[in-house]
Amino acid sequence: MRAANTYGSYVLLALMGLGVLGCREIFDPEVGEEASGILVVEGYLDSEGLASELTLSWTSELKESGDELSPALGATVYLLSEQGTTYSLEERGEGVYLFQEDISEQMTYELHIELPGKGTYKSDPIQPILTPEILDAGYVRDESGIEVFVNTQGNDNADDFLWTYEETWVFLPRIITNFIYKEDVGVVERKEEERISRCYKSERNSGVLLETSSRFEDQVVFRQTIKEFEEGDPRMQERYSVLISQKAIPSDAVEFWETLKKNTEDIGTIFSPLPSLIGGNIHAVEASSTQKAIGYVSIGVVQQERVFIDRADILPWSISMDEFNTCFIGTDTIPESQYATVFASGSTLPARVVMGPMGPIGYYTAPRWCADCTLYANREKPDFWIE
Amino acid sequence: MINPTNKVCLLVLLWIMGGTVAFAQTSTEPRISGFFPGVSFQRFVDRVEEDTPYQFYFRSEEIAGLTVNLQADQSQLSDLLDAIFQNTDMKYSFGPEYAVFVSRGQKLQTQLTDGFFRNISSGAEELGEGVDEAFVRNNRFVIGELSPGKNTATLRGSISSLESGELISGAIVFEKIDFTRSVTDVEGNYAITLPVGKHTLYVQNLGGYVEQRLIDLRGDGRLDMAVGESIYSLSEVVVNSGAISHITRPEMGVQSLSVSEMKKLPAVLGEVDVLKGILILPGVNTVGEASVGFNVRGGAADQNLVLYENSTLFNPSHLFGFFSSINADAVEGVELHKAGIPARYGGRLSSVLEIQPKFGNSEKIGGSGGIGPLTSRLSLEGPLGKNTTFLIAGRTTYSNWVLDWLEDRADFNASRANFYDLNLNLKQRFGENDVFELTGYFSKDQFQFDPDTVYGYQNQNFAAKWTHYFNEQLEASFSGGVDAYDFDITGEDNPLNSYEFGFGMNQTFAKVDFLQDFDERHRFQYGIHLNYIELRPGKIRPYGEESIVVPDEVEQEQALETSLYFSDEFEINDLWMVSGGLRYNLYNYLGPQTTFTYPDGSSHGESDVTGETTHPSGEFIKTYHGPEFRISARYTLNNQSSLKAGVNSMRQNIHLLSNTSVISPTDTWKLSDEFIRPQTGIQYAVGYFRNMAMNTLEFSAEMYYKSMKNLLDYRSGASIILNDDVEQDVLNTDGKAYGVELFLKKSTGRLNGSVSYTYSRSLLSTSNEEQKEKINDGAEYSSNYDQPHHAVLILNYEVSKRFNATFSGNYSTGRPITLPVSKFVYGGSERVYFTDRNAQRVPDYLRLDFSVNLEGNHKVNKLAHSSWSFGVYNILGRSNPYSVYFVPEGGKLQGYKLSIFADPIPFITYNFRF
Repeated sequence: MRAANTYGSYVLLALMGLGVLGCREIFDPEVGEEASGILVVEGYLDSEGLASELTLSWTSELKESGDELSPALGATVYLLSEQGTTYSLEERGEGVYLFQEDISEQMTYELHIELPGKGTYKSDPIQPILTPEILDAGYVRDESGIEVFVNTQGNDNADDFLWTYEETWVFLPRIITNFIYKEDVGVVERKEEERISRCYKSERNSGVLLETSSRFEDQVVFRQTIKEFEEGDPRMQERYSVLISQKAIPSDAVEFWETLKKNTEDIGTIFSPLPSLIGGNIHAVEASSTQKAIGYVSIGVVQQERVFIDRADILPWSISMDEFNTCFIGTDTIPESQYATVFASGSTLPARVVMGPMGPIGYYTAPRWCADCTLYANREKPDFWIE
Repeated sequence: MINPTNKVCLLVLLWIMGGTVAFAQTSTEPRISGFFPGVSFQRFVDRVEEDTPYQFYFRSEEIAGLTVNLQADQSQLSDLLDAIFQNTDMKYSFGPEYAVFVSRGQKLQTQLTDGFFRNISSGAEELGEGVDEAFVRNNRFVIGELSPGKNTATLRGSISSLESGELISGAIVFEKIDFTRSVTDVEGNYAITLPVGKHTLYVQNLGGYVEQRLIDLRGDGRLDMAVGESIYSLSEVVVNSGAISHITRPEMGVQSLSVSEMKKLPAVLGEVDVLKGILILPGVNTVGEASVGFNVRGGAADQNLVLYENSTLFNPSHLFGFFSSINADAVEGVELHKAGIPARYGGRLSSVLEIQPKFGNSEKIGGSGGIGPLTSRLSLEGPLGKNTTFLIAGRTTYSNWVLDWLEDRADFNASRANFYDLNLNLKQRFGENDVFELTGYFSKDQFQFDPDTVYGYQNQNFAAKWTHYFNEQLEASFSGGVDAYDFDITGEDNPLNSYEFGFGMNQTFAKVDFLQDFDERHRFQYGIHLNYIELRPGKIRPYGEESIVVPDEVEQEQALETSLYFSDEFEINDLWMVSGGLRYNLYNYLGPQTTFTYPDGSSHGESDVTGETTHPSGEFIKTYHGPEFRISARYTLNNQSSLKAGVNSMRQNIHLLSNTSVISPTDTWKLSDEFIRPQTGIQYAVGYFRNMAMNTLEFSAEMYYKSMKNLLDYRSGASIILNDDVEQDVLNTDGKAYGVELFLKKSTGRLNGSVSYTYSRSLLSTSNEEQKEKINDGAEYSSNYDQPHHAVLILNYEVSKRFNATFSGNYSTGRPITLPVSKFVYGGSERVYFTDRNAQRVPDYLRLDFSVNLEGNHKVNKLAHSSWSFGVYNILGRSNPYSVYFVPEGGKLQGYKLSIFADPIPFITYNFRF
């Protein structure tokens, strides 16, 4: 029965392949009465003592433009074992609650959430699942681009898998410049901590990746696609890395994640499924309460694997970053007398030295948005990064 | 090369301006063509005499002031004269050697031929060799023998086409004094009971021409008539069968559309679409242009029985629903029963759509075909020997370039698609009393949207029917056949995960139907239908040698449906006519099957399962049975109007599982089982029917209320495909629908068309007993096809007989849709939260279309007759939203609307007939 869900989505995916039939236009429909203030709970708690996060937030109005989720603050959150032991989660701000305990995988647990004035919630009993290790993670380069995959094998306890990933790659700006204008000293070379020509960009996945191992012989999930990108993608400017997290989830959770996926990712084609109500394993404690909660919290072991890909290994790979195609180094020489007027605002940067017969006579310029990678990514090299 | 379009235009122009009389010699009688815009009778005579051998004899003073205002195309002189002399006291008669005598008051007696007093009694053939038509028309046929004490007599016979020899069904035989009438059945037979004495019988075929016969009815007898088809109605009194039966038939909610009517309608890419054509009828709507699925009076799309003769078509669509897969060349027309469903039909809740196949003409082998942007079609029909006729028709696509073209215009992302359909129909007569018919239908679609996934589906239908006429009163038909539908998906993303998914169903049926005229006022129909359904709900298996996909299959289901029915049509008196029917349906869900057991009264949730039961082969796992009532009555108010009322109850044992708003190509069917009960419904309707302006305008107003039980909706997160225990995912749902339909139709005249307006609602609610989940907390919610206001305007203007233009407009309230009410962040992205089902609507739908049909000339000896259709679908280029939704893009939500055809879609099609 459980497998049915995944098969269903498989066939559904085939239909989604019908693509966007028809014409799509941006549209702002009138929506009905807003329902905000529903508790949203997200987290996969590691049972072996690795620090893991539980995020609490509230639903917000559709029209709200804020980028941030509206965090649920000040909650008392704890895990209660079937034997009555409690394990508290520590609030870290912005709705994040930290869990770091080594707990027995042989028991079931309830997650309790108390939000003063906003209700008390608890989860259905959760059985921790030991996620099997990732057998192999790698990538294939083919004519269309790169596909990162994992291989794994399920077992009797761990049949359904959810994968998440975090990508990091070297981001190079279109125009490289090593100069900086400082009010007191004029134009000088940048120091190491002022570097803007090499950054590291990170992104977390935003889609839902699910698979059921029992669909395959010996429960082997072979070449499960984690991430695909096409040739031209700036991810391969120099070096790319992806950290894959594999989480085994109970079969009930599959329905939750499937619904989440159907409601937001698979919507919008002619044969899209009808949207449905989403719930999860968190409920208000008082039966009479009209308070609702969304989210499926699981406990288990997260298995991780990092994959690196070097540009040199996948060449040829042309980079297309069309948004920077209008980036050029200015041809007007900015003499020292004009440094302050041109460079002080920071939107124009000195790019190249202009040499006169007697030495430098000024600089050619570049717009900051073409030369400063920190506008798009982080300057600091991540700890895990190996060159 | 001459552009054929220009050529046709030129011809039309010449023809209008010149008013020339074209004369084509046929084997029987000179025909007259020409345009006579108010010319004097003398001038008309001159022209006719010039172009035909006819010679007129009359007194000039008697015809003074008489003008001729008509247009003739291959018309017979007598018809023209009938029209010219109408409302005058002028009479005419034909003499030998093409002499025409015109006189005032008294008809001039011309020389009597030998056959003039021929006693055409029972069984006589009207048209012997060499008897000319004019003779036939003006001869008074003496029928039967006078017998004392008998005041009425019944005349029977058949109506056939003079040109093709084909029997004409749906032709009306009537007399104008009491307006007694009879409609020919599918075999072209009529029976009319009239007072003994002299009568003028008129024969009216669909398409609007009238022929007349003079009879002297002395007793029961037979008169077979061959009527011409190429003359056009010139008479003021145009009665068409629709118009008359409109008032006199007891049932309501029956509407027919002939293929010729449909051919005039503008269609997407010029594909004449038998199923989309019915969307112009009141009470029929659709959730989107991407689906041939239609909704009748607030019913779901799977509640329509689509019958091709006796074959049930489960998915009559091409290109995943954009076009219907029924080749218009193989079809006479369609008839939709929205209410007043005859007792001989059953199995679906909302409607029966009868598609009448063509069996080919009996005169000569001919064919037709067409070339359009999307498909080409070819059909061949004609006699095979004396008693056999056949029709074979095929259609195929070369759609890939269209798909590419549409891709820019309609964001139509199908990369490759192929489809074809085939029809094969055969009719064989054995003597006077037996007719054998075979119908075959086959359609196949295959498409591919990305290089890895191939999708295909096919319909296969085959049926045979033997009709035997025991005597004048009793006929029986014995039929049987197989209907099959299946689809499969092959996914080859990578060799290890490659899979093949399949669904299929087979229906084997046998039917015995009797039709019996019992004394003069009763018409009994009774019979028994058996239907054995095998359904393979789904299986997946590895595709290719490397694949490690584990095969899985949902156990096959089977069921036997047995239905008995009896109905009577009883004309109580001139005012009242009642048609009543009872159908009793017995449904057995059969083993082998393994089913879960649930405690009594439980809602069949996943957690309720207590065990499993294995049922052996042939076991009656579950039996459902119940009666269905079909009652309608007509009360005649006067010659022009009537009131009708009816009650219809229906049962449906097979359900389409669909969790999308339109029928999708991966929807599967499900048989009623232990837990999923048959859908039942009852409809009450009343109506007022009126013909106006000498029966040229038909008006109807109908009101209905319908309630439905055991419909299926789906719980949140339901999955349908490869689900062994669907009962855990469906919600037992009640439905109700009500509405008012107004319809005005003008089927004749240069400007014809129809206008309809429907107000209707279709509401669902999770039934009280359902415990799994209550959609909208058990409150009523709109069905996906609840579109309260719906108006359709069709205007057709016949510039000339060869040139007509059609304009159509379609408006409806936007369909209901579920929109999110709030958002949250989950899984690294913004997500939407939905609450109430179908609480909002997409913006209203409005579409205007235009098409022009150009016929080539009608010269008899031409190798092929050709015609062109061209036009524009969605002239306004309005992007009518099909759906509105939010998707996250880079983790942020964005609202979109999706429309199927957002641009005007022009089309041109070339059709030919030979």
